[in-house]
Amino acid sequence: MNSLIKLELTRALRNRKFLFFSVIYPSVLFLLIAGTADATTEIDGTGLTLPTYMMVSMASFGALTAVLMGNSERIAKERESGWVRQLRLTTLPGRGYVLAKTAGAAVVSLPSIVVVFTVAALVKDVRLDAWQWVALTGVIWAGSLVFAALGVAIGYLASGDAVRPITMITYFGLSILGGLWMPTTTFPGWLQDIARWVPTHAYAALGQAIEQSQAPHVKDIAVLAVFFALFTGGAAWLYRKDTLKA
Amino acid sequence: MTTTAPVVAFDQVSKAYGEVRAVDGLTLTLHPGETVALLGPNGAGKSTTLDLLLGLKAADNGSVGLFGATPREAIVGGRVGAMLQTGGLMDEVTVAELVRLACDLHPRPYRVSEVLARAGVAQIADRKVNKLSGGQAQRVRFALATAGDSDLIVLDEPTTGMDVTTRQAFWATMREQADQGRTVLFATHYLEEADAVADRVLVLHRGRLLADGTAAEIKAKAGARRVSFDLEGTIDETPLRELPFLTTIDVSGQTVRIQSSDADATVHALYGLGLYPRNLEVAGLGLEQAFVAITAAEEAKQS
Repeated sequence: MNSLIKLELTRALRNRKFLFFSVIYPSVLFLLIAGTADATTEIDGTGLTLPTYMMVSMASFGALTAVLMGNSERIAKERESGWVRQLRLTTLPGRGYVLAKTAGAAVVSLPSIVVVFTVAALVKDVRLDAWQWVALTGVIWAGSLVFAALGVAIGYLASGDAVRPITMITYFGLSILGGLWMPTTTFPGWLQDIARWVPTHAYAALGQAIEQSQAPHVKDIAVLAVFFALFTGGAAWLYRKDTLKA
Repeated sequence: MTTTAPVVAFDQVSKAYGEVRAVDGLTLTLHPGETVALLGPNGAGKSTTLDLLLGLKAADNGSVGLFGATPREAIVGGRVGAMLQTGGLMDEVTVAELVRLACDLHPRPYRVSEVLARAGVAQIADRKVNKLSGGQAQRVRFALATAGDSDLIVLDEPTTGMDVTTRQAFWATMREQADQGRTVLFATHYLEEADAVADRVLVLHRGRLLADGTAAEIKAKAGARRVSFDLEGTIDETPLRELPFLTTIDVSGQTVRIQSSDADATVHALYGLGLYPRNLEVAGLGLEQAFVAITAAEEAKQS
């Protein structure tokens, strides 16, 4: 299984276009949003400045891009081309393929998080304690697994031409509703009520709690845990269905 | 005498897709060292048979055994190497990287360089998989199927997309595999290919096993020819039906169409009747029609 993981990592790092998209793009977006902002105004009810707040949003967004965009489309494509069938004729256990795909995504999501942090610290003078930087990196990286599972599920759910639009709608829906592009406090009340239950909102909230030197809210952890179970269960179910159909 | 489990054992295996019975009560046994062609027209159930054999599909009825175990167990044991017709490849990696992966996954692998050379892809080892021609991709698939010391090699229409030269080279490599004592099973819809390579031919039609024998036996069975000619005046069918080696006859208007297992003798006897056939044509049957001929013969035998 290790050899497939190694090969998936090699391939992920070799794909310049995708690397640029998921590693550089969130930082560029961060600069666009936070660039003109006054570094001292705080976002309502958070006690965080806009750059600090958006840094976590964009790091989460970058990780989401890396784990969701790459895998769903590739899995759907490889299911169709028959590569998945070919792998079933090897000693590789069934979960090996999915694990390798997830590892390939994780290796891209880590730099995308780190690059946003670096840009925020250097350009927008975001200052945090050492433990906060470490905790933020760990939490955002680990939390991206929830969306990696979603990417796998979409890859097994959709096929052919459908996979890209489904991925895009999911991706933008999660980004906007979860408040990754703009704080949900700017939303109308009814939309805020919805946004509170979106997994990306809980995901970014974990990071923001760390920035506020608080323990993460139990509700956010619970929301993420429920979605993780849902996505993993869905992916496993779709995977088994696909295996029987082959 | 030692009792070893057969390489492949199908017992009354059926698989249907909705109304279509792709494989219908198939029973067959393959023994170690055989080179077997699975011959049939498109839609005969060849690919489904191979999918069932490799455990990619589950049978509706009956049992499939490989080396006395389940297909999955045999694969995990590294006893089977397979090349699928729709075997997509991982793209954006090089040929060598992909072959290395196959070697790493096999319990008894060969050296990567050795596998590349044998499959004839050593020169394109550094090329990206998605930049290959159809024939090159086919050879890479073959490399993946022969990455380790497997006892059974399964190939689904392996020469699709290959030109004549590559095709010949491919079968030469295949024979080497068989000479090393491996069991080789390949699906094809070319009778010539089965004839040139296999020492046993299984003819599949509509999911059922029509014939099982040497290539020569199958060729004799499928060797029927079609004779057609026109006659003037009223045609009396009775003497025509008595023609030697005739298997079927069809008269419409002035035209007579006959199938014969020995066209020379049939035509000779036709003149012997004192008839003057015009527009005489003698032609071989295509494989598709040969299958129909064999089916008709089988059904006649049963009734």
